[in-house]
Order: sequence, then C-alpha cells, then structure tokens
Amino acid sequence: MLISSLGQGLLWAPLVIGVFITFRILDIPDLTTEGSFPFGAAMTISLMLNGQSAFIATLMGFVAGCLGGFVTGVLDTKLHIPSLLAGILTMTGLYSVNMHIMGKSNVPLLTQKVLTDYLPDWATEIQTIILGAVIVVIVIGLLYLLFKTHLGLSLMATGNNKDMSAANGINTDKMIIFGYTISNGLIALSGSLIAQSNGYADIGMGIGTIVIGLASVLVGEIFLRGRNILVRLSAMVVGAVLYRFLLTVAMGLGFPPDDLKILSAIILVIVICVPIVRNKLKTRKQLKLYLSQLAEGEQDEQDGSIKHTKFTKGVLSGDRE
Amino acid sequence: MFFPGTENERHILKNVSLKVYDGDFISVIGNNGAGKSTLLNTIAGTLSADAGSINLENKNVIKKSVSYRSRWMSRVFQDPKMGTAGELSVAENLVLAQSHVNTTSLKWYNKKGQWEKFQELLKPLDMGLEDRLKTQVKYLSGGQRQALSLLMATLSKPKLLLLDEHTAALDPKTSRDVMNLTDEIVNREKLTTMMITHKMSDALKYGNRLIMVQDGQITLDVSGKDKQNLDSEELVGMFDN
Repeated sequence: MLISSLGQGLLWAPLVIGVFITFRILDIPDLTTEGSFPFGAAMTISLMLNGQSAFIATLMGFVAGCLGGFVTGVLDTKLHIPSLLAGILTMTGLYSVNMHIMGKSNVPLLTQKVLTDYLPDWATEIQTIILGAVIVVIVIGLLYLLFKTHLGLSLMATGNNKDMSAANGINTDKMIIFGYTISNGLIALSGSLIAQSNGYADIGMGIGTIVIGLASVLVGEIFLRGRNILVRLSAMVVGAVLYRFLLTVAMGLGFPPDDLKILSAIILVIVICVPIVRNKLKTRKQLKLYLSQLAEGEQDEQDGSIKHTKFTKGVLSGDRE
Repeated sequence: MFFPGTENERHILKNVSLKVYDGDFISVIGNNGAGKSTLLNTIAGTLSADAGSINLENKNVIKKSVSYRSRWMSRVFQDPKMGTAGELSVAENLVLAQSHVNTTSLKWYNKKGQWEKFQELLKPLDMGLEDRLKTQVKYLSGGQRQALSLLMATLSKPKLLLLDEHTAALDPKTSRDVMNLTDEIVNREKLTTMMITHKMSDALKYGNRLIMVQDGQITLDVSGKDKQNLDSEELVGMFDN
C-alpha cells in the first residue's frame, strides 16, 4: 500500500509543483489545471495510438499543457480578464479540445509500450517509483537551476511585488505568462504519466485536480518548511506522496471511489486550517509563558528587567511565519 | 482625463508643459488632489496620458511601458512596501535594481564578488543592513525598507529620479535621515530629480528648483536665487490662490 502510494505520488508530483508555481510563486490560484491535466493525457494517449513512441507522446503532452497555460496567461495579462475567470475559460474550452483529440470520452491504450515498459522487467510498483523518481529529479533540477538565474529571480519578484518589478525593468506580463506556461506544462506532464499508468485517458480525469494540487502543496508545506527553493520544491513531492497515502488509507477504510472527491475537499479544508490553528495555539502558549514570567519578575524584582528583555526577543523571533 | 463623458469627468492635468534640465533637483508641491502624483505617474508610465508627449532626451516615450521607461527612470514610492519585494532578501532586491535590462537572462544572479560590493553600498546607510543581506526584506523596518528603496532606485544611475512623498510614511527622525541621504546621493551622483513633498521646509531646503501644481496646472516655477528668497509663509499663502 505504502509502495503504491509512493509511486502514484511521484507521478502526481509534477502537478503539485506546477500548482506551486502559480499558487505560491505567482500568487494566483489557476483553474486551468482542471483542463490541462486531461489535455496532457489526451495528447499522449492519442499520439501513442497513432504510433508515436511514449517518449515523444509524453513530451508533446507537456507541450500541450504549456499551450493551455500560455492561453490563460494571455487572457489574464493582455485581455485583463481576472485570473480566476481566465483559468475557468481555458479549462472550459479545453474540454471541447480534449473531446476532439480523443474522439470519445474514454480512450484505452491497446498494446502500446508505455514509459515504464522501457525499464527492466521489475514489479509494476517498482517501475512506477523509478520512473517517477527520475522525472521528479529532472523537473526539480531544472527548476532549481531556473530559480538561480535572473529570469527566475524576475519571476519570483513579479509574483511578490508587481509594481516594484515593473519599476525595475521587468516585463511583468511576460513573466506571468511564462509562469502559467511552465506550470501547466508540468500539470499536463502529470496527466500524461497518470494516463500511461492507468492505461487510458478519460475526459473526466481533470475534475478535482486543482483541489488535489492545492491540498498537496499545503500538506507538503506543513511537513517541510524553508525559504530555500530546493526545500520548497522537495516539500511539494512530499506533499504529493503523503496526499496519495491519505487517499489510499481512506480507500482502505472502505470509502467508495466516488467519495474520494469530497474527501479531497475535506482534506483541503483541514490542511488550510491546521497552520492557522497551530499559530494561534503557539501565540497563546507564548503569551501564557510571558505572563507567568512577568508575574515571576514582580516577585523577584532584582533581575526581573533582564528576564523581560530576553523574553520579548524570544516572542518576536518565534512569531516569524 | 478621468471618467470622460460622465458627470465625473475631470481633467487632472491640462496644458502641462515642463522642461526638466539635466541636473535639476525639483521640489513639487501642491494641494491634495492637485495632480502632483498624477504628474509623476504619467511621467513614469503607470498612468497613460490622453494627449501630449513626454520626451526623454529627445525621444518620445508616451506610448512606452513602465518597464521600458525604467531603463532611464527610477522611482521611490510613498509606501515603503511598494519599492521592495518583501519575500526576497536584501541582496536579491539589490540584484533586481542593479540591471533593468537583463531581467530575463539565463545567467546566474548570484555572482562572485557581488556580496562585498553590496556590503559597501549598504554601509553608508548606517542601519546595519550590510550584515543582513540574507534577511527577507519584510522583516526590516519601514525606515530601513525606504532607505533600501532609495538606494535601489539610484543604483542604476537613472536619468530621472522620481520621489513620490517618499518620507511621508516615516517618523520624524527617520524621515530626516532618509531626506539627508536623498540629498547626499542626488548631489554625489548628480541625478536629475523630481520630488513631491508636503513639507514646505524640505521643499525650500532641498533642490535648486520648485514648482507648484494647482488644479492640474503648474502655477509656479522658480529656480536658483528666486527659490532661495522664498519663505515658508509666502508659499503657504500661495496655496490659497
């Protein structure tokens, strides 16, 4: 069970990293996800059925997602459509595009070789883990390098402070479009991998993916926190795997597959609340400690003042993030 | 023009003609709502003018974007949070300010030797920022952020420096420090500067030229000796006209 959720989690990791780029770096909740995920799947499966190799098909799945993201980016920046609506528009449009590519709502693979078939003849779970790990390492490696360049810095600055970025010569529209593009490319890559792992592409496979993505981002950040981009990206992989594990546990408890969507939604609500509650508890605890020290200080007035200054510092630094 | 064709239609700036000479340090004063900020926003490109031209060294930039104009113009905003990226570190902010052109290059931004250069730049501010290059800017105080913004705005040696009430949100002492720093940098780098201020004393003390904006027009433009002879009360009196 653990092994299979590890493998599945790694295949979902590019999606979570994609959502991380729009949601955390650009500060945009991008609904294009729901359209670009099946877009990648549809593209890959169709190309494979038409005789293309799994490598080419997967790559084209990625490119397809980039295209979807590019459209949302243009709608958002050049046509000034609010980002949430821009995502919904692309997602809706992609439904028709996906239907055209697939021809019907569910397309199974026949005897085509998927990516894992190129690996030695191990158990399917092991193959999935190896493939997922290789892809995750490549994706994180490339993104890590990207965020060390001027381009990556401009992207981060744009998401953080648009006015300041423009005032420092950054073409913020271009940066936002670029962010949407790579984000959705990665999301579609996930779709392509999942479709190959399942053996089919389905028109409905994108439903709920944004919730899965956001929940995984937040789960990851609960377990692994830091400012370093490498840590933050790794946290996304941790989030993706843990999230799959949570779902597997739920399935093991006897929840039918149809209930997984509402479970996803509930998990998202919980993980949004956890950090808020945790911060509140922490502040309350520190306040209590501070007050009790104050009371102590009054009893013992001689070195009370020293204690105070020491403690205020502790409260302030503990309050960060 | 705001809200054209409606009852709220308002000309903010009309028939404004201003020639800024190389090396000018202009104080801009005027009532609230007179159009000072609009004037600066129009020059910087945040707002677009309906008619007219803005010439920068004989080049009309009226249709150009903010990021394009930023190659020649820098800006410090009133709100210290506006001029810096809070999530990024002090060093990363300085890198951004350093080059307004290579913003999409694929070269590493963390170059060797850069660190020492930044430390040298920050030392004169006397705020201890030289030891906090790795600190995220959101943990700095308003004064520190504004001093950093000012440093960043002047780092690329702009042809025109726009200061939009950049000391208004600071406490009196920090405000004075930042103002002194401004004067020092502007004089040292011989920057052409436009500064909006509501403090008459600052408007009179700093710069070689003073303009007053009222009701969307420039109603006073004095420089050199004439400016030195002005006094605070005389200026406040002119506000009533």
